[in-house]
Amino acid sequence: MANKDEVSRRQFLNYTLTGVGGFMAAGMLLPMVRFAIDPVLKQGAGQDMVAVVEENEITEEPQRFTFKVNQKDGWYESEVTQAAWVFKDKNGDIVALSPICKHLGCTVDWGTDPSHPNQFYCPCHGGRYTKDGTNVKGTPPLAPLDVYKKEVKDGKLYLGQAEPQ
Amino acid sequence: MKWCSKDLDMYLQASEYVDTAIVPLIPITWGAQKKNVILKGEFPLILSEEIERQLKGRVFLFPAMTYLASELDEDVLKRISALTSELEHEGMPFTVFITSDARWTGSEELGDRLVNIPPVPLEHMDEEYQREIVSEQVKHILQIVTKKWQNTL
Ligand code: FES
Repeated sequence: MANKDEVSRRQFLNYTLTGVGGFMAAGMLLPMVRFAIDPVLKQGAGQDMVAVVEENEITEEPQRFTFKVNQKDGWYESEVTQAAWVFKDKNGDIVALSPICKHLGCTVDWGTDPSHPNQFYCPCHGGRYTKDGTNVKGTPPLAPLDVYKKEVKDGKLYLGQAEPQ
Repeated sequence: MKWCSKDLDMYLQASEYVDTAIVPLIPITWGAQKKNVILKGEFPLILSEEIERQLKGRVFLFPAMTYLASELDEDVLKRISALTSELEHEGMPFTVFITSDARWTGSEELGDRLVNIPPVPLEHMDEEYQREIVSEQVKHILQIVTKKWQNTL
């Protein structure tokens, strides 16, 4: 009776420990596996940098690309879609500008003002910026468009925070 | 700008630049038709938020104006016109109601304040396609709104 009891207790412990160990192993392995099969979607290049577009898609004409970042708004954390105007300047350097107007925060568009086809245009109060993001004097914005931190890795453009120029 | 005190402070600093209220117009019910009615609200709410994002500096997004699906047209319209006339008095010359409820099509009281968007059931679409549909409609609404603004600046 006592014998039987001991065996079953040992068995019980064995089972439990294997079970717990299994869970722990799974807990460690799963994120690693996910990380391995999903490298593009993960933030691959340093902290908070997000893959946005293949480098060879970037032209001299500004194009709008969107990407997702986690944002904390007070206690509410959510995934928000951000946009960037991306192009290559005369020297072939990549520029990524934030589309947020420095006046009151509307979203600017490229070339939508017929009389200024080579500028960024804000639909709200007619704010304008030259291609490099400089605000045009005489329009409401008082500062140039923010510039995204950027990094090119493995042929992809990664973007981070937008910062004032 | 959104319906929160932070954005109101921003408004108070720059009220001369803000002239448009965006108001989602949303039916509600808990009766048998709820699925249908929710569908009619989901899409315009998403669109309104997106419009606010794009035109943040010139519009103020209001909480949705809701009405019971069983509420009489004239009762709803009475509340709507009370709202618009208050807004006009208080320095908001443009009000845009965004709805997917076909009930208001052609309503004289709402007139060109109404933007009627056919409801789209987004739930079964993949994300890429959802985003396309939303941005398409947003573009459409942006055109309507910015057209109202022509000659005001
Ligand atoms: S928000 Fe862009 S010009 Fe005012």
